[in-house]
Amino acid sequence: MAKSRKCDAKGCTIEVKGVNKYYNKGLQSEVHVLKDVNVCFDKGSFVSIMGPSGSGKTTLLDIIGCLLKPTSGTVYLDGIDTSKLSDNQLATIRGKTIGFIFQQYNLVNSFTALENVELAMRINGKPKNEARKRATKLLDLVGLSHRVNNRPTQMSGGEQQRVAIARALSNEPKVILGDEPTGNLDTKTGGKILDLLKRLNKEEGYTIINVTHDPEVGKIADKVIHIRDGMITGKR
Amino acid sequence: MIDLAFKNVKREKSRTFLTVLGIVIGIGVIVALGSFAEGINVFFQSTLEFSAGKVTVQQRGAGGFQTGFSGSDITDEQVEAIKMLDGVKEVVPVNMYIEAGGIGFDIQMIVVGLDPSNSNVFVGDDIGLYSGRELEPGDSGYIVVGKDFADSRGLVIGDTVTLKDTGFEVIGIIEKSNNANVDSSAMITMSDMQDLLDTESYSLLYVIPEDIRDVETIADRIEDEDDSLSATTNKDFARTATDVVNRIRMFMFAMGGIAAVIGGLGVLNTMVMSVLERRKEIGVMKAIGATNYNVLFQILSESLIISLLGGVIGVLVGQIGAFVLVVVTEGAIPATVTPGLAATGILFAMALGAIGGIYPAWQAARVDPVQALRYE
Repeated sequence: MAKSRKCDAKGCTIEVKGVNKYYNKGLQSEVHVLKDVNVCFDKGSFVSIMGPSGSGKTTLLDIIGCLLKPTSGTVYLDGIDTSKLSDNQLATIRGKTIGFIFQQYNLVNSFTALENVELAMRINGKPKNEARKRATKLLDLVGLSHRVNNRPTQMSGGEQQRVAIARALSNEPKVILGDEPTGNLDTKTGGKILDLLKRLNKEEGYTIINVTHDPEVGKIADKVIHIRDGMITGKR
Repeated sequence: MIDLAFKNVKREKSRTFLTVLGIVIGIGVIVALGSFAEGINVFFQSTLEFSAGKVTVQQRGAGGFQTGFSGSDITDEQVEAIKMLDGVKEVVPVNMYIEAGGIGFDIQMIVVGLDPSNSNVFVGDDIGLYSGRELEPGDSGYIVVGKDFADSRGLVIGDTVTLKDTGFEVIGIIEKSNNANVDSSAMITMSDMQDLLDTESYSLLYVIPEDIRDVETIADRIEDEDDSLSATTNKDFARTATDVVNRIRMFMFAMGGIAAVIGGLGVLNTMVMSVLERRKEIGVMKAIGATNYNVLFQILSESLIISLLGGVIGVLVGQIGAFVLVVVTEGAIPATVTPGLAATGILFAMALGAIGGIYPAWQAARVDPVQALRYE
């Protein structure tokens, strides 16, 4: 593992420092997606990253989530310099430290709700019996104890997203990253999902970073970071 | 995680079934043909043991064992001349004929006539009787039969076997020797045989040397003495048999190998398709913590499960094929699936699974989770 580092801000979980991201660097089609981004996310906070399409907010989320490597700069995740880690080390960090919630839910359609939640724990080496117990508990927490044996195709969008949230919580992550988690849901269902995320933040203490372009979603966050053309343009 | 691999294999049942079927056919062919080669090997080995330590003499150009040495006509004068040769301990004249059929592998009708005191030369020293008694000098109208011969005709002591319209009473059944030549034959005394065939000559001679190491020299001496005779030892036979068995083995493994490789291509095709269809799922797995090794292991496990299943069923199908071969050849070719052959079949299937699975597994391990999640 790379050397640990303490964030400047007290209780900071994630620090993004001088991050630049280029796509197709050196080619005619080069795009400078993130431009010298510096931001810190406090432990236990609920942060929304807002910006129009193409502003670089999802790329920033992917870099924070160790799915993408920055072209330059670094991300400290709980004190660990992730820019120095190999692909497999990043995968391990993702499994143990981060929980993802996607707009498209991204559940495995051939698995039941229970198996989808178990999957994340099994990948991270949890024994089957323990994984099953925790998956059952988490599905109960998100209000889906009656859906454990249903497959995603037998569930509504809201229910699928609840399964995805249960999966994101399964490995007791330090931070939950949401990429437009309500983007595919109607207002009422989306509101319920946001309530659930807010509850997890307030009652369970999870740090939540949520990408959205919906100002209503931004309103429930403790902190909002505005991004445009790859640069942070404001914070609330 | 292996249980997830099983679950994924079961996901596309018909595709998995067809892929397994491809491996089953390939491995089944390898095992069935391999058992045939093993059977021929066993047959030759038993014949080799049968002719060990002695020289087999017949008329040059006459037929071999499977024809009852037809056309071989050795006289008493020739026997006496061989007895006079240096190093010859004993000469045992034998008459054989095929009662019916007897072409190809059907050696169940071979009737042997020899002096009862020398029956051990034909049967072997270690083989006793299953029931009844042995032929004795002076016996007439009696017959001793091999176990397979008796079983195939349901014979018991006291039954009558008719040869060329002459009835012979069964007085002895030889215990199972696993030598096809003995188990499938029937013995009568030389005098009965000569009466039956209306001849005073012999179809072959077994020449026992004083020193077992001199069999080759004795064989050369016999041919030098009488160029109308052909003298062979088990070394000559072993050379030919090994050559024949090796050629059959190579041919059969080549045929089976081609069939199995086609099955292996089926595994490759199935796994490539599976990985292409599951790119997003693989992306999700990587996003939630699966390392490249986890994904590689997962896909390779699925490929190995398919091939192992195909291998095991293929060995069973090959065993059925071997059984059919035994039935078709009426036991003449004891086609057997040895543990080594079964293990070869399963290991070959696993190797096909590993080779067929490694490329798709590598492809899967290289899936970029961001690309897979965003664009698939």
